[in-house]
Amino acid sequence: MKPRKFLSRRTMLKGALGGGVVSLALPPLEAMMGSNGALADGTTEGPIFGVFFWANGTPWHGGHGGVQGGQGSQGDVWTPAEVGPGYTPSSLLQPIAAHQPSIATGLTPHTEVPAAPPGQSDGHMRGFMVALTGDRIRPEGFDHPSHTLTALRPSIDQVVAKHPEFYGKSPAPYRSLVLGVSEARFHDYGHWNAISYNGPDSLNLPVSSPGQLWNLLFDIPDDFEALERRANVLDAVLEDANDLRAKLGPRDQARLDDHLDHISEVQRRLELSGVTCEPGAQPAEPTDLMEKTQVMSELLAMALGCGITRAFSFMLTSPATTHIFSNLGVPDGMHKTCHDGYWQRVNDITRYQMECFGAFMDRLEAVADPAGVTLMDRAAILGTSEYGEGWQHSVAEMPVVIAGGACGNLNRGVHVREPGGNYSMAHVTVLRALGINTPSFGWNGGETSDALSGILV
Amino acid sequence: MRRKVWLIGAIALLGCGSDGARAGGGTDGPFMTGPSGETDSGDSDDDDATGDDDDDDSGDPSQPYEPGQQVLPRLTQRQYRNSVTDLLGAPLPEVELEPDTNPYLFESIGATSTSLSELGTQQYEEAAETLTQAVWADSARRDALIGCAPAAADDACAQEFLARFGRRAFRRPLSAAEVARWSEVSATVADGDPYQGLRYATAGMLQSPYFLYRVELGEEDPDDPARLRYTDYELASRLSFLLWDSIPDEELLAAADDGALLDPDGLEQQARRMMADARTRLSVASFFAQYFDLRRLDGVSRDPGLYPDFTSSMADSMRTEVELLVEDLVYRQDSDIRRLFSTRKTFVNTELAELYGIEPPPGASEISFAPVDLPEDGPRAGMLTLGAFLAMNAHETETSPTLRGKYLRERVLCMEVPAPPDDADTNVPDPAEGGTLRERLEQHRVDPACASCHAFVDPPGFLFENFDSAGAYRTTDNGFPVDASGELDGVPLADARELADVLADNPFVGPCVVKQLFRHTNGRLESGGEEPALEDLAARFEQRGHRFSELLVELVRHESFRYVTQQTEEGE
Repeated sequence: MKPRKFLSRRTMLKGALGGGVVSLALPPLEAMMGSNGALADGTTEGPIFGVFFWANGTPWHGGHGGVQGGQGSQGDVWTPAEVGPGYTPSSLLQPIAAHQPSIATGLTPHTEVPAAPPGQSDGHMRGFMVALTGDRIRPEGFDHPSHTLTALRPSIDQVVAKHPEFYGKSPAPYRSLVLGVSEARFHDYGHWNAISYNGPDSLNLPVSSPGQLWNLLFDIPDDFEALERRANVLDAVLEDANDLRAKLGPRDQARLDDHLDHISEVQRRLELSGVTCEPGAQPAEPTDLMEKTQVMSELLAMALGCGITRAFSFMLTSPATTHIFSNLGVPDGMHKTCHDGYWQRVNDITRYQMECFGAFMDRLEAVADPAGVTLMDRAAILGTSEYGEGWQHSVAEMPVVIAGGACGNLNRGVHVREPGGNYSMAHVTVLRALGINTPSFGWNGGETSDALSGILV
Repeated sequence: MRRKVWLIGAIALLGCGSDGARAGGGTDGPFMTGPSGETDSGDSDDDDATGDDDDDDSGDPSQPYEPGQQVLPRLTQRQYRNSVTDLLGAPLPEVELEPDTNPYLFESIGATSTSLSELGTQQYEEAAETLTQAVWADSARRDALIGCAPAAADDACAQEFLARFGRRAFRRPLSAAEVARWSEVSATVADGDPYQGLRYATAGMLQSPYFLYRVELGEEDPDDPARLRYTDYELASRLSFLLWDSIPDEELLAAADDGALLDPDGLEQQARRMMADARTRLSVASFFAQYFDLRRLDGVSRDPGLYPDFTSSMADSMRTEVELLVEDLVYRQDSDIRRLFSTRKTFVNTELAELYGIEPPPGASEISFAPVDLPEDGPRAGMLTLGAFLAMNAHETETSPTLRGKYLRERVLCMEVPAPPDDADTNVPDPAEGGTLRERLEQHRVDPACASCHAFVDPPGFLFENFDSAGAYRTTDNGFPVDASGELDGVPLADARELADVLADNPFVGPCVVKQLFRHTNGRLESGGEEPALEDLAARFEQRGHRFSELLVELVRHESFRYVTQQTEEGE
């Protein structure tokens, strides 16, 4: 594949007028690239950030606290026995061991839990929000009986994608891609089938059809004048929206502002030329989780390799998933299987999810630039789940995988153990690895200024 | 928002005054027969809900009625598709749109609370492009839509079209500045082709927030400057999206032009006209599908090894059955809605007949459903004994008295089931330990931490234990005899069949339907200040024999449909 870049015709014009170079990398980014990051042709593609999410944590063990029993527990099969570099992978980490991920164990939410409305300490929701946003659930409107919840702030993928220090002045055509694989979900209430938020009640639902993703990435008309006209029309739409905005109450102004921002992004994308990398054939639509993971990962890797985006979230399974892993001989949905205490089944499922994680990273490893720098070399991938374990919804010992080299800013193959440590140290670590100035991360008791020092270079 | 927690076992009376309600009214089904003649509307000026003093269970009895706050609903998928079809005519190509969310069951609540994503914004852009291209590709169709032959992209013909299209798309006349804005767009991108200019302008209007959102903000009420009333055009839009899930038609807009909708009688007249149109049937079906959460059936499957009769089409059949039952009972017969939970009538295809152990009625096949009366001495009567409810509220391999009881409490009776305590041990003993599921759930009863809530949901939930996880009748569970006895609010019951009799005149069912319809209509939960309106509507519903069509009419006439309050930062 021959990577080519989306170029804004407006930028090209400006570049031509000024006699300058089009793709100006930001100086700090360049400095950050290190020996690994500079590409052979002199362009700088920059680091990649992604979240890989799987459901229902890890199989439970004593470290999760409370009464941990169920049926057939074999204890902790997640945490490696050794800490530091070169740890020996545990059985559940073996499927991803080839990518030498760093991991942090012992992390847990430090956010305070308000007494009202009740139910906010439920691991599904508390851990979910802390892992993705560093904050608690929004208490207003939270309703445990109906599982209605939303975030207080953007999820980490959107924090990165919209951060001025990540893309600088030349954002990729898509600031981020939000992808999913399994379409099973615990609830139909909308907030259980997405892990990416722009803010309260502002979800980014995942694209979970390979065909739809392929269309988004590659099915772009090449009539630039027509695209320009479509972009022009949006000016009038924005004028209408601004008229309306003045008449609205504060909450609806905020909703409309989100919409206005999105219109501007769509308009920016229409103004970019449609030439991208050469797409493969339209992909199949497999139902098997592993096969679908491979297809979606391959499309994502293509998009990353071509510079269509540098940030993503990849939801293998949704929080508290009801996905039935019948391929593993498990008759019930995963959420119920956890609650029924079938440790061995949960272990089998988790191992399978890790195999999917491994297959996902294989695809990113397989795409390299002419200098041999792979997408994994450039990537910081936060692999995580919504709590420690699904039997009792414990948020102790939440799984945290930090994979990839982040252009030389992440150490690989390091196990950092921080019993009771603040989960948001993982956020601080990946943000700093991406060159984003991060004095602290986390809110409402979850603040920390500490990175996982053994993992961050 | 203020929430109520119902006390276990409490039976509240409907303490609503009935003096304000109109007696009588047409006895014809207004769904089917259109306007049913003059109703006694002599006291219509006094129709406004004022609450009443013998308030029983809704908190502060002195709280006066206060309209709810403004919301800004974005069109649901259904509404968008219907609206573009009404605007551009059928057929139109399929377009991808952001899925609706349904917090508190209703897509309309998602439409006022969930923000559109960037992808959803892009999908609107692409949809507008695709839809207008499809119409413009056929010059006869294009010309019929435009209605004149533009010589320039912003000439009189073009402006006339943009004003006319905009009036329907935005559900109100456009201002001169707006017409100028869109004709300027048309001129800018026409490139010498006026039709091209108009196509892009049309695509732009389909992306305007005035099309995509229902802008219903109210205006100062001349009779009471302290409050806001919906404008006549906003009322037209509210009526139309409620009854048709689409934009107003020309007749409704003309009524708004004439100011007829500011009068409740004018609203009723239009409502009855619109209810006779088949579009209302679909909107009623959509409301009940959301209310009963039928979308959840999409995810229901059973291991063919364990449940060989639960075919891959079974969940769809179950869903269709409930849809047909609702259509027949609520829409076609317009009978007492509580019969949904007690009627022996249902609609089956061959696989459902087999599931229920009955002879397939004439006309039933694998894919056709036919009406049938379930046996009088059989175990089933009412929606809560049909496959959809039973399978949707069960696990893959075993039943769930808890989920079934919870559905009954929350959906049918509108009671709130408290969340389990944070440290609840949710582990249910393994079937290998012996006993029925009911016996294995004994912990729910004996552990005080569990009992406080499970005593609320499990005893009614046990009534369904004669039906397995796939909805089939059974007399044993895990090899042990089933005990399907239970109780509802202190009334001991032998099984689900006896529950059906109790629900036929249970005092919570009617107000629950009112509350759900109110939420669906307004796209938000009721505010504390609206409780008197809910009670008033419930009383009217009861007086109208719990006929859903009459509830719709009462609702659109009601003050709570016609007035609104400024939005604040905090909500209520």
